Amino acid sequence: MADVFRVLAQIGTTITVLLVLAALLIWAERRLLGLWQDRLGPNRVGPFGILQSVADMIKIFFKEDWVPPFAEKPVFIFAPCVVVITMLMALAVVPFTPTLAIVDLNVGLLFFLAMSALAAYSTILAGWSSNNKYSLLGGMRSAAQMISYDVFMGLSLMGVVMLAGSFNLREIVLAQQGLWYIVPQFLGFLVFLVAGLAESHRLPFDLPEAEHEIIAGFHTEYSGMKFGLFFVGEYLGVLLIAAITVILFLGGWQGPWLPPFVWFVLKTALLVAFIILLRAALPRPRFDQLMSIGWKLMLPLALLNLMITGAVALAGGL
Amino acid sequence: MDQRIGIEQELLNRFEGEPLLSQKTADQIPTLWLPRDRLLDVLRFLKLEIEGPFLCLYDLFGIDERRRAHREGQPEADYALVYHLLSYDRNQDLRLKVALSEDDLGLPSITSLWPAAAWYECEAWDMFGIEFRGHPHLRRILTPPTWEGHPLRKDHPARATELPPFRLPSERQEKEQEALRFDPAYWGMARHGDNTDFMFLNLGPNHPSVHGVFRIILQLDGEEIVDCVPEIGFHHRAAEKMGERQSWHSFIPYTDRIDYLGGVMNNLPYVLAVEKLAGIQVPERVKCIRVMLSELFRIASHLVFYGTFSQDVGQLSPIFYMFIDREKLFGIIEAITGARMHPGWFRIGGVAQDLPRGWERMVREFIDYLPARLDQYEKMVMDNGLLKQRTVGIGTYSTAEAIEWGVTGPGLRATGLDWDWRKHRPYSGYENYDFEVCTAANGDCYDRCRVRVDEIRQSLRIIRQCLEHMPEGPYKADHPLTTPPPKERTMEDIETLIDHFLGVSWGPVIPPGEASVGVEATKGNNSYHLISDGDTVSYRTRIRTPSFAHLQMIPLISRGLMVSDLIAIIASIDFVMADVDR
Amino acid sequence: MSLLFYPAAAIALFATLMVITRVHAVHALLYLVVAQLAVALLFFLLGAPFAAALEVLVYAGAVMVMFIFVIMMLNLGRPTLLQERGWLPKGIWIGPGLLAGGLLAELLLVLSAGPALEPHWVPPQRVGAALFGPYLLAVELASLLLLAALVGAYHLARPYLRRADQDDTVEAER
Repeated sequence: MADVFRVLAQIGTTITVLLVLAALLIWAERRLLGLWQDRLGPNRVGPFGILQSVADMIKIFFKEDWVPPFAEKPVFIFAPCVVVITMLMALAVVPFTPTLAIVDLNVGLLFFLAMSALAAYSTILAGWSSNNKYSLLGGMRSAAQMISYDVFMGLSLMGVVMLAGSFNLREIVLAQQGLWYIVPQFLGFLVFLVAGLAESHRLPFDLPEAEHEIIAGFHTEYSGMKFGLFFVGEYLGVLLIAAITVILFLGGWQGPWLPPFVWFVLKTALLVAFIILLRAALPRPRFDQLMSIGWKLMLPLALLNLMITGAVALAGGL
Repeated sequence: MDQRIGIEQELLNRFEGEPLLSQKTADQIPTLWLPRDRLLDVLRFLKLEIEGPFLCLYDLFGIDERRRAHREGQPEADYALVYHLLSYDRNQDLRLKVALSEDDLGLPSITSLWPAAAWYECEAWDMFGIEFRGHPHLRRILTPPTWEGHPLRKDHPARATELPPFRLPSERQEKEQEALRFDPAYWGMARHGDNTDFMFLNLGPNHPSVHGVFRIILQLDGEEIVDCVPEIGFHHRAAEKMGERQSWHSFIPYTDRIDYLGGVMNNLPYVLAVEKLAGIQVPERVKCIRVMLSELFRIASHLVFYGTFSQDVGQLSPIFYMFIDREKLFGIIEAITGARMHPGWFRIGGVAQDLPRGWERMVREFIDYLPARLDQYEKMVMDNGLLKQRTVGIGTYSTAEAIEWGVTGPGLRATGLDWDWRKHRPYSGYENYDFEVCTAANGDCYDRCRVRVDEIRQSLRIIRQCLEHMPEGPYKADHPLTTPPPKERTMEDIETLIDHFLGVSWGPVIPPGEASVGVEATKGNNSYHLISDGDTVSYRTRIRTPSFAHLQMIPLISRGLMVSDLIAIIASIDFVMADVDR
Repeated sequence: MSLLFYPAAAIALFATLMVITRVHAVHALLYLVVAQLAVALLFFLLGAPFAAALEVLVYAGAVMVMFIFVIMMLNLGRPTLLQERGWLPKGIWIGPGLLAGGLLAELLLVLSAGPALEPHWVPPQRVGAALFGPYLLAVELASLLLLAALVGAYHLARPYLRRADQDDTVEAER
């Protein structure tokens, strides 16, 4: 029984920390964007504006919980929960340090892929249930985008799996003792990062919510806490993609001198900053262009990577 | 002058024996009155048969002639319709007028000759109730479909106090809302295709990237645009009607709000037209100041365009950098005029004040600072591969199409035609400046941006020349109609004081006549056609704005593309709705 | 194990029941997704984590998304619902119901005769080894089938693609 309580406590702590991190990330993104765009960003609430997210959260909690009368109510409410749940579930298999992880699953990588595939439901259902044409366009874009990029995402990781000989994330990190996989798996790293961005629909792949084209896409009709869930889900997604990239390609918690956890946080933070920088720098491709980048560039690259890795693995007698 | 005789003579020769009546105007543009039944023949001759054809329907508008006192040498008419044609081959304007009587307000539509006439004819119908026979879709275009009366008629009230108090009971509200509902059948659109149901998407009037209150209704097959209907009028403020109420002087600030990014650039065609009517010659210093400020505003407007263009294809940062530059520029404008976006600073016969001390330093600092920033933007925006993918080859039109649809300004030059009013019809002393007309080749979204970016550099060049060669002298013309008149002598003799008093209180009385002046404004050619009836107010103020023509062209260039492309096209056209709706 | 097994099994049963009784296609599909998730959990509890992950990844995560995507675009409304009702009167269910009942009875009989299912851990490597060892032929057959499906899909989509090409040439001629 004590065991169950320990696990529950660990889950509770992790969820709280992650949600706070996601909120903090919103602030960090706005400050960083401010820095890169020659403006201030939120700097009034608390020191350096760090409490801005808290203020926003309070506001969003107290907003009216409104469902448009023309929406498909149960699905409309259910949709934003999906993204947060799946993202949190996926983060459960992430080993932050050799010992700190909620579950040490032997198919951890597959679990992560499965959860990110399920996250697609969130946007699709939101788009469909809003009963709004812009939302529907957003939902359609998101469905096509997620299904396509899921494929490359999975394929890009198989090289890593081959090298490490395991789906277990902890073992994959341990297998990188000598050499981070970003070196032998550079192609895989590129494809995964692009696919990861597409999965979390961040600019330049934010087509499902491209505000210049389809207003807010799938979450056009959302407000209040339901919108807040999408928001938190998006930032959890960013965290997740960054964390998984660190684990699979950047040696996870490994590094000299500093304690493992610090290394993990440092690497993840750098990647997150990079993702935010991308948002500040790049325009958005058109929908069909996004698809052809995926099927005509990413897929061959991922397959090529897989073939080379397979050949090398066979030759090396792994 | 020879040319003028040329085209009039050509027309008279071709249509011998027809009652073609020539009218003298202050702007020296050949003006002919035509009988209604020969309108189409004459226009066809001018567009299709003549050598050096008049391919561009530059403007089309009505005049309510019923209360006009000074109509010497003009045929009897209750209403007149004006067709303003432009020939790029000849570099010549031609104005044709048709007289209409009140009980038979109809004439043939010219949409068969110029598809671009469709919106203009709708506007004339909306404003004057003139009916165009054979028009494919005559409707209210600027006023709401439920509007009663025709606003630019002289008997239509001009202000709310002349109307009963406004009420909006729920029945009326419902009626108004119902009128906004889009009915595909009304526009001749099918709901179903071969094996698809089309989706009708209402983009706007409140949408993040329609740049104001512009509504465009899309007929979509998936995300592909099958057809679309641009709908305007949400920003209509009856600027032309206000022109008939405000004194010649007090209308100046209203012009600022036409193209609200163009600032004093809007004042320019208006004051030039009034000066032409009044016969005022302005001093060299005034010309130079006007050119300098106009070019500063051209840069300001192009910077906004540049930023929003990149933002509309998803690039978030450049607009912030460009707004910072624009702030610096507004600092100069503020130092000189005291205002930022809408200075309303040009005056009939001059400008409001002389340049302040130290303006040279501010302007020099700015023009030395901007080129390096533009180089950065070049790398950030114009060289960006994704942006090129999104904009190259999208929304393309040829030079011929551009002329046909009345496209002017950067949109025309992007097709490769090096036509610039500042070069071909120098006004306000532009002939004295050394600058190039920027062109591009393909007429797509990217090229429209390319041209504008290059123009910023040319504007900087012009401003530098203004800075280095700013002539000394008065900032107002020494002319009785200059408004406000020079004050120095009012304290010395009573005649000047009386002049000053009348000029300031009632406003100047401009001699009767007609003049139209166009300038190369930020978004294309903006021109004012003013009719004075010898009064303190204008009898008819016609504002020809570039964006009106440009928007009409959207369906033509966006069919078969995707929603994202439409956004790029809208961004590349560079319009503001105030400039479209007036 | 049984702590989670029975709730998961109950959910799977209930969700499957909802799938076949919902009128609304999207709702039915969502219940199907839930059923699949529950089944995945059962797989996991029975010691087949690889199969569990694939169940979620492939069926719930990809195939069902595709279904919903299509249904979302069909714009089904009341008229289609009525039309469907017209096609499926009450009596038509009797035959299939009886057949399914027979099948269920057989299944129960077989299950009750055999020993209870004991969980034993199957790591992913063993699944791979089994697939590319004794079941190699089946894998190849399945891949052939998929290839055929791919070609078929391309063939079906071709008129549409050709139409787009024609549009292009018409544009070019203009």
